[in-house]
Amino acid sequence: MGETQASEYRSDIHRQQRDLMLRWYQRLEESAHGGPPAVSLMISGNCVELLEAFGAVPLYPEVNALQLAIRHQSLDPILAAEEMGYAADNCAYVKADIGAMIKGITPAGTELPVPKLVLCNFVGCNTYVKWFEHAAEFQNAPLAMLDVPFLRTAEPRAEDVAYIVCQLKEIVKQLEELTGRRFDYDRFREAMRCSARVEEAWSRIKHLARRTPTPFDAYFDAITLMGPLYVYRGSPEGVAFFELALRELEEKAARGEGIYDQERFRVVMEGPPPYPFFRTFRDMFAAWKATAVASTYSTVGGLWEFGFRHDPDHPFESLAMHMLAHNVTNRNYLQRYDQIRRYIEEWDADGVVIHFVKSCRLFSAGQGDMRGYFTQQLGVPTLYVESDLEDPRYFSEAQIKNRMDAFFEALEHARSTGTLHRGAAAIRHAPGGEIAPAAADRLKILQ
Amino acid sequence: MRVAAGVDVGSTQTKAVIVGEDGGVRMLGRALVDTGANVQRAAENGFLEACRESGVEPESVGFVVGTGYGRYKITFGNTQMTEISCHARGAHFLFPSTRTVIDMGGQDSKAISVGEHGEVLDFVMNDKCAAGTGRFLANAAEVLGIGLDEIGPLSLRARHPVKITTVCTVFVESDILSYLAQGKKPEDVLGGVHLAIARRTVSLARRVPIDPGITMTGGVSRNTGMVKALEEVLGTKLQVNSDAHFAGALGAALFAIEKMGESFESGIWRPSNATPRG
Repeated sequence: MGETQASEYRSDIHRQQRDLMLRWYQRLEESAHGGPPAVSLMISGNCVELLEAFGAVPLYPEVNALQLAIRHQSLDPILAAEEMGYAADNCAYVKADIGAMIKGITPAGTELPVPKLVLCNFVGCNTYVKWFEHAAEFQNAPLAMLDVPFLRTAEPRAEDVAYIVCQLKEIVKQLEELTGRRFDYDRFREAMRCSARVEEAWSRIKHLARRTPTPFDAYFDAITLMGPLYVYRGSPEGVAFFELALRELEEKAARGEGIYDQERFRVVMEGPPPYPFFRTFRDMFAAWKATAVASTYSTVGGLWEFGFRHDPDHPFESLAMHMLAHNVTNRNYLQRYDQIRRYIEEWDADGVVIHFVKSCRLFSAGQGDMRGYFTQQLGVPTLYVESDLEDPRYFSEAQIKNRMDAFFEALEHARSTGTLHRGAAAIRHAPGGEIAPAAADRLKILQ
Repeated sequence: MRVAAGVDVGSTQTKAVIVGEDGGVRMLGRALVDTGANVQRAAENGFLEACRESGVEPESVGFVVGTGYGRYKITFGNTQMTEISCHARGAHFLFPSTRTVIDMGGQDSKAISVGEHGEVLDFVMNDKCAAGTGRFLANAAEVLGIGLDEIGPLSLRARHPVKITTVCTVFVESDILSYLAQGKKPEDVLGGVHLAIARRTVSLARRVPIDPGITMTGGVSRNTGMVKALEEVLGTKLQVNSDAHFAGALGAALFAIEKMGESFESGIWRPSNATPRG
């Protein structure tokens, strides 16, 4: 295919996003010199609102790692970690973060602080347990580990919610001691109010992608918005940013503007992007004028497009609910099947593209079965490509491009013969017109 | 007669096919050259040789579709398509009952689920590993000091095929040397090598899944030992013939005839600066 490139949306959103992320790094540098306390958190189902109550700054190792990758600086720290003894198939995020820590590399060139607390809000990914243990050890910082039960049932049990609330309150006490600051309950509730507004705006932005053409790419463009979503969600800056983004994108949608002059294919994306080759990967979609109308990766920090909001009237309980049930990583695989299926049906998609991450066994291991579920049980065209989110050594451009081109050639051919269906029509109906039941219904057997 | 060409520049070999349409579509000629370092020249040589074999002037070819990894290097091509679409189309042309294609090439092996008109429904490929490809066989042949064309027939004589436990193209060499040191016969070693690749390929193919009407394409389809090993593991016969090696180029040529439409555009052929050999 030709050299079509995405007409990326560039406006106030992008300028402000850069400013906000730069300011975040500046605050972290201030923290290193006696400024606000910093606390390490993991992105998945993060509880950043709790830190707002202390005026603390979140330090996200994943954001640092992906910033290094997107700037083509991840290989040196990865190699440094491997020299220390980390294995070739360890999570490349971990290796980039630990390697950068040891070598003193930072993404923005600004100093990073030693966190007052390394808080592993363990949600879904058990590699993080070891990652945060190592991060605490190497930085000589205190470690706290939240135990968040994995969601095996459709809804969390009341005991699970109470269990998390109890742990969060212990963290509050620990943070009071470590930061020397009092937990400000009013500020905590205010953070919950800000988060609810940000989540509402973010959710409405995602729902804009249900339009044809979609005004923004819910994978590549969504990633631009995800940094502020995690760092500033519980703050007035976050509210201002997301309400501006919503306004701008609503105006763009009202003008009928899409990503390309003519949107040809609409896909749902599963898996994180290959950050070291972010541009190259995006161009492979652009060559076919294909847009992502929804993505599971943009729900790692929280899944809000189906209605969940933080609740200022029940702040601890809603933090617990968010961590247990309203982020993609703590939900089970069958629920993820249904999440993707809902995107296909309600966001009017033609197919699914899975990007398998070689160094992430936890979330990639089941993607072969996932491909089988969508192609064979639901009859939805699904492409599976492999590389890595952080390690450039796993990206083979010719191989990935070949698969992408073959996938879209097949979709184009199917369209020319009238056999390509979009949205709800794409889901295969069983003989007699009965539609396949939701995958998570199988969970009832387990309960 | 409307004439079109398909050129498949693979990692190891370049294949070219000329088709003509005069009422029905038929294959007029084909050519095979080594790809080597100069991809552009290989494409030109293949195309010109196929023209000669077909008895058509290069200037009379109305449309050229390039495929394979070197497809973007074909300077005289009108457009490019992936070899996945082309193998499906070519295999369907050769055997209209094709519903599954197993294509084994120099560095790729793939399984394609094919619709009733030769369209791609689904596909899977090997990733970042040459096990299960022609390269694996080439390495085995090299270690044994036997020509690549001879290993298939020799493997058919295996009475007690050895068990090859590694599926790594590099480490298979030490496995083979170890068996030879134990006094195993070369045919039994080769029997084991072919079975190991067949098992790996079939487990890849089962992901599409495999529907009856299985056609084998690609360079390895010439290897009679591999065809038999695959049939043994699959428990069914494969559709394969001497044109199956050219299925990618043939599919590209069929797409070329289709894309050419009614407008005959002569003089597509423009030699590049690289002087063709021969």
